[in-house]
This record gives sequence, structure tokens and C-alpha cells, in this order.
Amino acid sequence: MKAVVFDGVVLGLQFGLLGVGLTVVYGLGGVLNLAHGQLAVLGAMVAALRLDAGASVGVAVLTGLAAAGAIGLLLDRTLLRPVYRRRGEPRVLLGLLLMLGVAFVIDGVLGWRYPIEALRVRIAGAPIDVLGVGMRRGSLLASAIALGVGAVLVAFLRFTTAGKAVRSVIEDEVGAQLCGINPATVRALVLGLSAVLAALVAVTRSMTAPVTVDAGIDLTILALIVAVVGGLGSVSGAFAAGVLLGIVNTVSAHYIGSYVTTIVLLGAAALTIVARPSGLLGRGQE
Amino acid sequence: MRGLTRSAVVRAYAPIGAVGVIAALLPLRYGDSRTMMGVIIGGALFAAYVIGFNVIFGSTGQLFLCVGALAGLGGYTSALLADRRGLPLLLAMLAGCLAAAVVGGVLSLVAVSRSLGVIFTGIVTLAFSLAFHNLLLGRRDLTRGETGLVVRAGSDTLLDERVAPYYVFVGLVVAYLCIHRALQRSRIGWAFRALRDDEVAAELAGIDVKRCRVAAGTLGSAMVGLAGALYAHSEGFISPSTYAFGRVDVRVLVMLALGGIGSLLGPVIGAAALTVLDEWLVSSNEYRLVIYGVVILALFLGMPRGVAPTLQSLRERRFRWRQTRQAPNAPNGGTTSAASGSPAPTPSTTSTRTPAR
Repeated sequence: MKAVVFDGVVLGLQFGLLGVGLTVVYGLGGVLNLAHGQLAVLGAMVAALRLDAGASVGVAVLTGLAAAGAIGLLLDRTLLRPVYRRRGEPRVLLGLLLMLGVAFVIDGVLGWRYPIEALRVRIAGAPIDVLGVGMRRGSLLASAIALGVGAVLVAFLRFTTAGKAVRSVIEDEVGAQLCGINPATVRALVLGLSAVLAALVAVTRSMTAPVTVDAGIDLTILALIVAVVGGLGSVSGAFAAGVLLGIVNTVSAHYIGSYVTTIVLLGAAALTIVARPSGLLGRGQE
Repeated sequence: MRGLTRSAVVRAYAPIGAVGVIAALLPLRYGDSRTMMGVIIGGALFAAYVIGFNVIFGSTGQLFLCVGALAGLGGYTSALLADRRGLPLLLAMLAGCLAAAVVGGVLSLVAVSRSLGVIFTGIVTLAFSLAFHNLLLGRRDLTRGETGLVVRAGSDTLLDERVAPYYVFVGLVVAYLCIHRALQRSRIGWAFRALRDDEVAAELAGIDVKRCRVAAGTLGSAMVGLAGALYAHSEGFISPSTYAFGRVDVRVLVMLALGGIGSLLGPVIGAAALTVLDEWLVSSNEYRLVIYGVVILALFLGMPRGVAPTLQSLRERRFRWRQTRQAPNAPNGGTTSAASGSPAPTPSTTSTRTPAR
């Protein structure tokens, strides 16, 4: 049981990191990035191709992250411009549909060009004993990265001027603009950053199991569930929901079965929306 | 105003008749080939799906991302009831249709009563869609999982022939179009248009917006469920992937975008266009997804003022000659052009939806 819960925490930290990107992008501009997982896989595939070409793990991973970030930035500056010219419901709808289109394009191109590519980052070494449970080094490293990046992210949002700018745009786009913040720049940087985070999750997941070309949809859906349960727009909510759902996921998969687990996770998302639309830690603002 | 004269009725339903005639003539050309008939049956099936989705999304703006799941609910309910319980075919299909209607109605009710915006409605229905898919995969004892289910009921009827099932589907599509048209011309249709143009104003004008939405959700889901059930029996084999999100909803979205959201014939045009496109691309299965994505991007980006207003102004231009004669019951552009008098390409503000509250 303890081992299962630990595995859940490891998974959950990564879920959280995955959900954070989606949630911040939505909070900022109302764009539900349905290509989130696809951007992650894109980064992972670039890394995998660099690895195949003989690059070292560090270089390959950095290239992958950079590629995902660059594509995210590019998407924001090109495709999403017409989206941001709108407000309210039409913006949300157009953003959602465009990112769905992007998801198809990325999935389609990757599946077509590199149908059997997969990213594996092997972390060698014997399992390390944590509170009486032998944990694989890959899992521990993945958790450490997720925790570290999460902490940096929270610190960034809380204490730096740029982070405060991001939060102010989430809070009130027009108000932020009046204070001299350019929402367009903030959004572009954040979409790029969220793509980097997504790709990072793909990399940390590949430390325990290979990430294949077709993993994009699953990652997107996971991110969506986590972001919804945590409350769209809430960073701390996404991490809390990520860990919670990670534990639920492994416990349920271990004791009940994988099909039911998926249904449980989806049910959690649907229930959250219906019962508490602002999420677990939501402040009830609508 | 409601155009109760006979010629107005004829003019309102003439396009549907034209669609029916054109569709009915297709087997003359392709009737010899079993593969081609399969392809155009698929096209007709999707036209039916898209009409149902159009009633839900196009009329009342509820983003139901569970068309495949609703069709699957209809299909599996009908197939299991007919084969395992020995229910008569028509009764079983009716049960499938009802099951989809109930689930769609409940989803719509939840969305409406919790006043979920387009995004939350989308996520809830997507969650239902994926959960249903997993349920199909998980309940192997009932659905035989990924192996799929052979549907025996219906194989001894006219559904087993080569051309006949196609006519059944054409009949279904024509019937759906007539229902949609009748809906557009009824009080409910006016209510739909009013609430799509301006929800608050519609509410103030005494329209029960919630009831309208739930009614549209239920009716559209029933349409999708019946089509799914019919397909199960005519094809004789269903599996979870027959009704998977990636197989159904994605195409339905592309088709509706191609044909035009909210319009009467849009679903048929979109379904026909994408079926033809798919046939051209049949040898290039690998990058079909890319093309879908590009189509979605191009369609939604090519309309910088928003999909609905652009389509509306386009339709206004295209149907101007028709509208000069029958302004009150022109397809959908009627409201704006009748109000403003001149069908100027700039969309009137009434056609953009109100921002989220």
C-alpha cells in the first residue's frame, strides 16, 4: 500500500506540472490549449531524435524543451492573435477549436513522419530506500525535478515582477493593461513556458516508461482533468489536484483496474465542474 | 410572418427535396460496387450525426463533444437488446434512440442548470465521451471489448442488401432535415435564433432559455442515437472504435465547420465534402489527421470575424436573390438582413454571442 501511494505521489507531481501549464494559459487568455500534450510529445520527440543522432542526454533534452517552447511561442504570436482580438465566449470557442486543429496537425505530422519513435531516458543505479520502500532512481529524479520546477514556478509567480504581471493579467486583463502590462507579451511568454513545462513532464515520464509518439492525446486529457479538478486558472490548485489524482490513479489502478481508473479520473473532472466549478482550492469567483 | 402560405412551405422544403433526389440518384452510379456503397452509406450516416450535432451546437451553442458516445449508446443498446434480449428490431432501435436522448438530455440539463459555459460543457461531455469509451472496453462480458460485437439482428432484413440500406439512411437524413426545418419555422426555432443572437434579450423577451437548450440537447441526441443504432444493424458489426471520439466527433466537427454551423444544409454539404476528401486521401492514411487539422485551422482562421457571423454574411450574399422574395423564412440569415434591410457584409452586433457572465 505504501509503495502504491508513493508511486501515486511520483505520478501526481508530474500530473501537477502538466496541469499547471494548461491552467495558467487558460487563466491568462481563455485559451484551452487542447494541444498541450501534443506540444509535450513534440518536445520529447525532438529530444529522442537528438538522442538517436548521438547527442548526450542533457543536450538532447534541452533541445527538446527549447523546441517545444519555441513552437508554443510561435503559435501564440501567429495562430492565436485573432483569438485574442475577441472577448468572452467567442474567444474561448475559437481558441479551443484552433488548438484542437493544432493538436491534430502535430499528432498527424509526428505519427506520419516518425511512427515508431519513442523517448527513453534511462537513469541507471540501484533503487534507493525511502521510508522502507525501494524507489527507482528514475522516479525519484522525476519527482525531484517536478518539485523543484514547481517550487521555482510558485516563487516566480509570487515574488518576481514578471510573475506578478502574469498574475495580474489572470486577475483582470483590462486592469493589467491599464497598469502598463502588455497582456500579449505575457501570454506569448507563458504559452512558451507552458509548452516547456509540458515537454519537461514528457521527459520525466520517460525516465520510468517510454513516451511514444501517440501519447499526446492522453497527456492532453490528463492535463485537462488535473487543471479542471484544480480549478482552471489556479496554480496551487493544479499541483494539489495533480498529487491527489496521481494517488487516486495508482491506488485505483492497483486495486480495481485500469479502465475503471480512467473512468474515475474523468468522473472526478466532470463532478468538479458540476459541483465546484472553480476547482478544489477555488475561491468561488466566476 | 410565419409564412403559412403553400408556396412558402414548398420553398422552405424544396432544398431538402433536392438533397433527397440527388442522394437517391447516387446508387445509379455507384450501386455496383460494395465498397463505394459502404463509403456513401458512411457519408449519409455522418450527415445524420452532423444534423443532430447541429441541432444541439448550431441552434443553442452547447458544445457537445460526445456525438460518438451518444451514437455508441444508441448502437450498443439497440444491438444488445435485439440480440441478447430478443427485442424486435424497431423496438430495440427505439430503445437505443431513447437511451441517447435521455443521456443527452441529462447532460444538457446539467450544463444548463449549472450554467456551464461553452468550455465546461465541452469538458463535461468530453469526459462522458471518454468514460463511455472506457466502459465499452472494460465491460468485456457485455461488449466483447476491442474485439467488437457482431450484430445479428437486422441481417435478415433489407438492411443486408447492398443498396437498400443506403436508402434507409437517405430517408433518415431527409427526415432529420425536415425535422430541423420544421423546428426552424416553429416558435422554438425563433426562440433558438433569439437566444443564439442574444441570450439576455431572449430571456427578457419571455423565452425559457433553459428549456430550449435542454429540448435541443435531447432532440439532437435522439437523432444521433437513432443513427448510431441504425448503423449498428446495417453494418452488422460494432466495436468501441466505431464510435470513438477520434473516429466520430473529430469528423463531425470538421464537417460542420466545412458546411456551416447552424445552417440547414450545412451538415449535408460538409458530410459530402469530407467524404469525398476522405476518398481522395484514402491512400494517404498517415497524414489524414494533418489535413483534418489544417482544414479546421483554415476554416476557423479564414473567418476573422467569427465563424457564425461570417457564415451568416456569406449566406446572406449567396441567398440574397432568394431572400428578396421570402425574407421571413430565409434559412438563418433572415433575422439580421430582414432587420437591417440591406445585407451588408458587416455582421450586425446581434449575431455575436454575449460574453460570458
